[in-house]
Amino acid sequence: MSEFKSGFFVGGESCNGRILIVDDEADIRKVVRMTLHKAGYDVLEAENGEKAIEVINSGENRLLLDVIICDIRMPKVNGIEAIAYFRQNYPRVPLIVLTGFPDTDMATSLLRQGVVDYLVKPVEGEKLKASVARAMEQRELAHL
Amino acid sequence: MTTISPTLSHRPAENQGDNPSPLLPPMRLAIIGGGRGGTALLDALHQIGTIAIIGIADKNPSAPGLRRAQELHVPIYDQVSDLITHQQPSLVLDVTGDPTMRSVLQELVPPGTDIVDGQTSRLLWLLIQHETTLQTELLHAEKLAGIGSFAAGIAHDINNPLQLILGLAENLTDETDLEAVHLQAKDIIEAVKRTTAICRDLTSYSRRASLRPDGLISVNGKLDEALKIARYAVALQDIEIRKHYQPDVVVKGNPDQLLHVFVNLITNAVQAMEHRGTLTLETASGSGTTQVRVSDTGSGIAPELLNRIFDPFFTTKPPGKGTGLGLYNIKNVIHHMHGTIGVDSQVGHGSTFTLTFPEDPGQDPERARP
Repeated sequence: MSEFKSGFFVGGESCNGRILIVDDEADIRKVVRMTLHKAGYDVLEAENGEKAIEVINSGENRLLLDVIICDIRMPKVNGIEAIAYFRQNYPRVPLIVLTGFPDTDMATSLLRQGVVDYLVKPVEGEKLKASVARAMEQRELAHL
Repeated sequence: MTTISPTLSHRPAENQGDNPSPLLPPMRLAIIGGGRGGTALLDALHQIGTIAIIGIADKNPSAPGLRRAQELHVPIYDQVSDLITHQQPSLVLDVTGDPTMRSVLQELVPPGTDIVDGQTSRLLWLLIQHETTLQTELLHAEKLAGIGSFAAGIAHDINNPLQLILGLAENLTDETDLEAVHLQAKDIIEAVKRTTAICRDLTSYSRRASLRPDGLISVNGKLDEALKIARYAVALQDIEIRKHYQPDVVVKGNPDQLLHVFVNLITNAVQAMEHRGTLTLETASGSGTTQVRVSDTGSGIAPELLNRIFDPFFTTKPPGKGTGLGLYNIKNVIHHMHGTIGVDSQVGHGSTFTLTFPEDPGQDPERARP
């Protein structure tokens, strides 16, 4: 069964949107998935920027990915490089930074580049969900 | 490839240009008394290029100064008269505290040889003790300054498990599956343990170097420990780490200070590679020496800077990123361990720092030559 959501047909029931979590720590991906899955989101995972770029460029994700949640300090392609790639190639996909290190300069710079939110771990589930909801609104506006 | 040879680079007097005159012959110094004072003076003065310590005498064969002299290949004597007549010193330093020694020495020494004893030699000892304290303080201050750069690594390593703990705890508030509750509680316990390990590592590293006597240190173990600490200062995710360890390599020294040396060398190496490249750690022992090599594939050091890298307050890092005391302190620690430090570097290809230590002569007394 499919339903119409966010301007796209998405497989599966009660899917509020498709989120990609990019973090080198499997534990972080697990809890983010757990929190967002409960809130009705379909969650994909990538362990670094390089994998994230692979995920977004594969199959239907090119069209169906709604929001990316991205860490900064990661191997291979780090968060800054990955975000630059997403902004360049997928400017309509909203980005949320979820990082372990609060860095005011970096936060300012990233928010100026259009990142929806700069969240510092540990972030409560409600705050994460609120941030994702804001990003989803932005995503929907982008398709009007 | 530009090289600073270990033998040149380990001599502070030669490096810093404070040799009073290259035309003056080295001072030929004899030390009488191998107690704490004699040991401290021997340790400090043998590092000065313009002083040749030509021997030390003590009647007590187990005096600590004689053991240290053996490590430094300084001739040892049980009779003062043998030392004076065989070695012809230009200065005799009497640290025995024995008031009758002056008359003995005055009869033995040739004309023109000075004798320093009594309160004067005690003053020298006190000055050297003071300098040792200052060096220890400087090392500690530089280490604490370096810990400031750990903030990003510490935040990463603490906030990640905290995110897991928070996420799981939130989930547990309405989790009904008992098996899931059990597994998630276990995950929380593991995450807490990881976080406490970080605090343990860092409090251990940041403490003042212990003042216990030098002991034998496993070099391979200390390098691995340094890697654990260095990852707080620099991101190692994209660094290929190659270890070429010879088993059971040991050196004699202060373990806390050697750890600091390794952390500094590894941190410098990774920064030179801008967090991408190959870090090689090598240890080897044989032919009377123990060697440790830390190599990177980074930017290298310009030949015109190579002679200055061990100078205090010299740094190529941007303001606020380096104290300029790292390599200076490393050099002092290595000297204290009777070792040398050298560097081979090629701009654009990387650098190799080589530490060379004498194999512990306590294990092979034959090697300590008279």
